[in-house]
Amino acid sequence: MSEQQALLVESAESIFESVGEATFAEAWTAVEDAGFGILLVDEASGGFGGDWADFYAVMREAGKRALPLPLGEMVLGTWCAHRAGLEAPPGMASIAVEVNGEVRDGHFSGVLQRVPWGRRVNAVVAVASGRAWVLPTHGARIEARTNPAGEPRDDLHFGKAAATPAAVDVDLWLCAALMRVGQMSGAADSALAMSVEHANSRKQFGRVLAKFQAVQQNLAVLAAEAAAVNSAGQAAALARDRDPAGDGAELEIAAAKLRANMAVGTVTSTAHQVHGAIGFTEEYPLHRLTRRLMGWRSEYGNDRYWAERLGVRVARLGGAGLWREITRRSDLA
Amino acid sequence: MSVFAIHRFATSTDAQALRAEVRAFLDENLPEANPARRTNCWAVLDPDFSRRLGEAGFIGMLWPKRYGGHERDPLERYVVLEELLAAGAPVGSHWIADRQTGPVLLRYGTEAQRRKYLPGMARGELYACIGLSEPGAGSDLANIRSTATRVEGGWRLKGQKVWTTNAHDAAVMLTLLRTEHGSERRHGLSQFLVDLDLPGVEVRPIVDLVGHHEFNEVFIDDAEIPEGALVGVEGEGWTQATAELALERSGPERYLSSHVLLASLIDAAGPEPDAVLAGVIGRLAAELWTLRQMSMSVAAKLASGEDPMVEAAVVKDLGNSYEQALPIAIQAALGSEAQLADGSALAGMLAMLLQSSPSFSLRGGTREIMRGIIARGLRLR
Repeated sequence: MSEQQALLVESAESIFESVGEATFAEAWTAVEDAGFGILLVDEASGGFGGDWADFYAVMREAGKRALPLPLGEMVLGTWCAHRAGLEAPPGMASIAVEVNGEVRDGHFSGVLQRVPWGRRVNAVVAVASGRAWVLPTHGARIEARTNPAGEPRDDLHFGKAAATPAAVDVDLWLCAALMRVGQMSGAADSALAMSVEHANSRKQFGRVLAKFQAVQQNLAVLAAEAAAVNSAGQAAALARDRDPAGDGAELEIAAAKLRANMAVGTVTSTAHQVHGAIGFTEEYPLHRLTRRLMGWRSEYGNDRYWAERLGVRVARLGGAGLWREITRRSDLA
Repeated sequence: MSVFAIHRFATSTDAQALRAEVRAFLDENLPEANPARRTNCWAVLDPDFSRRLGEAGFIGMLWPKRYGGHERDPLERYVVLEELLAAGAPVGSHWIADRQTGPVLLRYGTEAQRRKYLPGMARGELYACIGLSEPGAGSDLANIRSTATRVEGGWRLKGQKVWTTNAHDAAVMLTLLRTEHGSERRHGLSQFLVDLDLPGVEVRPIVDLVGHHEFNEVFIDDAEIPEGALVGVEGEGWTQATAELALERSGPERYLSSHVLLASLIDAAGPEPDAVLAGVIGRLAAELWTLRQMSMSVAAKLASGEDPMVEAAVVKDLGNSYEQALPIAIQAALGSEAQLADGSALAGMLAMLLQSSPSFSLRGGTREIMRGIIARGLRLR
């Protein structure tokens, strides 16, 4: 980890920790004041000049604390607008990668689907067919939806809303998948930490749960899965930074999101199993992590989506080609 | 909370050029083999292949040149191992000498021991085996009962080792014996080099459930070995032998030893597989890629001189699970090849791995032992 990244993580930790009980608006102000929104915008343009490894590290910190803000979406939206040469979205912003409708004669009519925190943000950066545009949300009809963790995933309906699209060469879906891997990795590590702490304090049959081999073995499996998610995520972020194949690290991000998705069942069920009934209550904070993990598993590509996309790509490489491709990419990175 | 510190893998030289060198060697030297014998390939013995590999400079890569080594970088060696395993090369004869016995001799051995064994090992001609398990000491390794007793000019050995992989092919066994009579558990153990052609040493085969002879029993009945056969410090055998285990558990053989099966599936599926098969290939590729990142991270940590005991256990546990799930997932997804009797390369490899893969989480430390090590890393024990 670079010194800059260590400082960034430290600052993310303290700010995310401090906003735990704050309202959405207060929390947002604290995060915005810290300048996270411009994380990926280059320094020459007045941004922070962070790379994808920095972004991944911040997303992990957000995931660890189940941060109830669309922070990653804000970072990606701001970066994407900047890349397209558009004005930065004013205030809180989210992203839309599932667009049903089109921009014609400077106006967008249609639906931005499953916009994270759509009802709370001021603007949305939408990307479709190689074009990006920014839409203020005040003109939208909002169809409120949520993911299993209760996080807003709203459909925003627009009728002839003024929009100025600009060409952009980013695969926002892929970047958003990497964002979720970071959050999933953080949440999995936190679920592990909570489970270990619980096993070290809760007594049954006259000893703490941690002393039972069955519990130790289950926690070891949980730890190994959490380690796999973070190893995959960090490697994918690094690959995105170096982009040895010039495709935005599509293969690496696909593999990382899929591997993270594959870990969710074991991570959530084991954390709850170790906690027993107490972990199943509304009051106990474990569900803030586990329910998000379940929701994030589906977002920006579920298992089937990435398995087929990656599988089709690998099949074209051929049996020997798979090995040659993954080694070539990591050697060049 | 995390038990897995991530280390950056970067070779000092051009890894692509090194891979090209190994691939060219394999194009020339990889023997035509029954496809089933290309799975679990680090257990497949082929002295002729090992000799050629040694001649090409791919054994003992890290060792000093004065012992026949090549003084290369540890991560260069890692690249070479990856290439050999991914191709299903029969590396079993020399594997243990190159991975474990040689490094132990460089760390703890005497000058005479190094001169006696290392050059032959680096040539791919002198093979080694590891005598740890006994009938009463498997996962509970500290229960070792075989003894070495000081006699005039050396030691007299008595006891029995079991599950000794490749003892029938090896010239020497690095073994752990009790040297302090009446000692218990981890105390009073010492490491020795035992030449397997000594009088009083008998190697008997144990044939496994697929009909292969990899394991052996080694009976030692009053065999006498010279003073110079002690490795390292008398009574420090436990520490020395367990340090060696981190080398044993962290390598790419823990997830890559049967890669040829996945490659064969991809070839059989063709460039446009149906959605079900594409999904299976995608999932396996994601696991393979992730395990590779983890294994490289452990290799980088080892190369920097740190001890990745817990990380190595994570890689071994996940790698074993992946290699066991691999044939199961492929069998479930195939069409007619799943009959396992059509004579195809894919069916042959699949049938072999379905049978042999349960052993992966037994050897080199069982799954339960690995998870116990991870639990210790979590401070649960």
